[in-house]
Amino acid sequence: MSRNALQQSSLKSNFFIVWSELVKNLKFLLAYPVVFVFWAIFPIFWFVPFVLQGQAFVGGLQSQSFAQIAGTPEFIPFIVLGAILNSYVLTSLYGMGESIRREAYRGTLDYILSSPCNKAFILIGKALSESLSSTMFAISQLAISILFFGIELTIGIIMPVIFIIILLILGLYGMALILAALSLRYKQAHDLAHTLEYVFYVFAPVRYPLGSLPLWAQIFGRLLPLTYALIAVRSLMLLKESLSFVYLEVLALLIIDGIVILVGFYLFNWMEEKTKKSGTISHY
Amino acid sequence: MDGGENEEVRNNKSLLGEMYVSNTSKSHRLRETKCPTGFNWTNLKAESRAIWECNIKAWKIELAYPISFLRECISPLIFILPFIIYGLVLIGGRYSENLELLVGTGDVVTFLFTGYLIMGFIGTAVWAMGFSIRREQWFGTLESIFVTPTNRLSLVLGMALHSTVHQSLGTAIEFTVIYLIFGLALKIGGILPALGIFALMMLALYGFGILVSALSLVLKEGWIVAEGLHSIMMILSPVAYPLIVLPNLAQQASTVFPTAPALVGIRAFLIEDYTPEVVGNIFLHLLALDIAWILFGIFVFHLSDIYVRRRGGLEKY
Repeated sequence: MSRNALQQSSLKSNFFIVWSELVKNLKFLLAYPVVFVFWAIFPIFWFVPFVLQGQAFVGGLQSQSFAQIAGTPEFIPFIVLGAILNSYVLTSLYGMGESIRREAYRGTLDYILSSPCNKAFILIGKALSESLSSTMFAISQLAISILFFGIELTIGIIMPVIFIIILLILGLYGMALILAALSLRYKQAHDLAHTLEYVFYVFAPVRYPLGSLPLWAQIFGRLLPLTYALIAVRSLMLLKESLSFVYLEVLALLIIDGIVILVGFYLFNWMEEKTKKSGTISHY
Repeated sequence: MDGGENEEVRNNKSLLGEMYVSNTSKSHRLRETKCPTGFNWTNLKAESRAIWECNIKAWKIELAYPISFLRECISPLIFILPFIIYGLVLIGGRYSENLELLVGTGDVVTFLFTGYLIMGFIGTAVWAMGFSIRREQWFGTLESIFVTPTNRLSLVLGMALHSTVHQSLGTAIEFTVIYLIFGLALKIGGILPALGIFALMMLALYGFGILVSALSLVLKEGWIVAEGLHSIMMILSPVAYPLIVLPNLAQQASTVFPTAPALVGIRAFLIEDYTPEVVGNIFLHLLALDIAWILFGIFVFHLSDIYVRRRGGLEKY
């Protein structure tokens, strides 16, 4: 077989791996329709208390002191957008981060890791399926928010917002890849995911602007991809700025994505080798 | 069957109460161990011991993972911080005029702290108690526990005891940090009556937890029900806002859960200038909810237990 034909065959096989992983995970998701409905609707219930708290404390739908830091007095759209983007964090940390551990529970991890294919493509398939399901959930939450919370979405900003969300997903899956790698070696990825979720919960500007945190916490927040995605999406949707206005945030997202994805793949390959040598793949 | 075998069987199964071994021609009684049953002191003592042992078991498992334990201890603090920071940013300080108009106090930090104090214990009822049975299923020990002559509820109550102490630890950490950073204007004299209200609320929450554990017995993947109930309870409880900001229907629905009257009562005793409803009514309301939730929880648990065993679904995931 010529070198060109080999390359083509390899490309086809790798695409097939990604496709199979995508189909498998979507089949799992659709096998539990209640879970699907839950993730599509219930995250809205988690930000409703913040909306009601705002109304009780301010006595209206706008806050001038909030505007001084956030740039907009409308705290409800601010909270809603934060919650929708944050749902990507939850699904990536618990979905992708735990995906390897889930294979171990199902007893299929040994087969996957011993298969003669590049494991990176399995991970890409997992990340793609998680991204797809997260986006379906986010669209449903956005639709409900447009109906009930007065979120405005113009056609002109859809493409830039999608672009930023893709950058956010890349960064989050890079982090989830690091978690997946650690779960190969240390098994209990759930604890790591929870700890990381706490970091996002406090330091990312999901419910309040970054400027309301102390300086040391702002520095911490600036290390998270969600921070830049939130600033950029809110600038586009709430402050009606153009994409060129948020080029620094986009650049920061690109840099973070590059770093975490490279570290994630390197760490995963390293941990895979280490785990195979130690014979602890099937351990719980 | 020789004597040695008999002895072994006796040793293994003496706890199972009356045991009969079938012979080819007749059944003969192997050994009879009187297990305390009914509502009497001996049985109560035995069940208390079972509850205590379940509690100890839960602590042993938890302390085997010290990092996870520490993380869970600080979780009440982590979860209250966004509410406080968000509140402070909204009003540009810690005093809200609108909140004072609604409830008589404008101190948002103290208001949020007293609200969130309760929230963690809702988690105790919904997650710790609700999933005590599911957890045993994951460990593969549920059937072994269910064939012992202990009341099934002792397992759930053992987890409740463990989780209440655990949550109290977390709340103590939360209190210390919030007090040191923000300061809290609490009335010391109101602590005892507030604890009385808290105890009444916990009784009703235990009834609610028993109900959730019954649901997890039937539904298996009952986490969706638990998470759903938790989220709804969070919205219908005046944790971060007074009930008056909710629509009328939601305000009415909130009276079904113990957290709403308990929070009003606790704040009435703990916060300066808080204007509560009649506190006497709150005690009566909570007493009625205690009886209703505990009876309803035990009734549903009993039905679920019978249903699951009849269908042979105890070991199913």
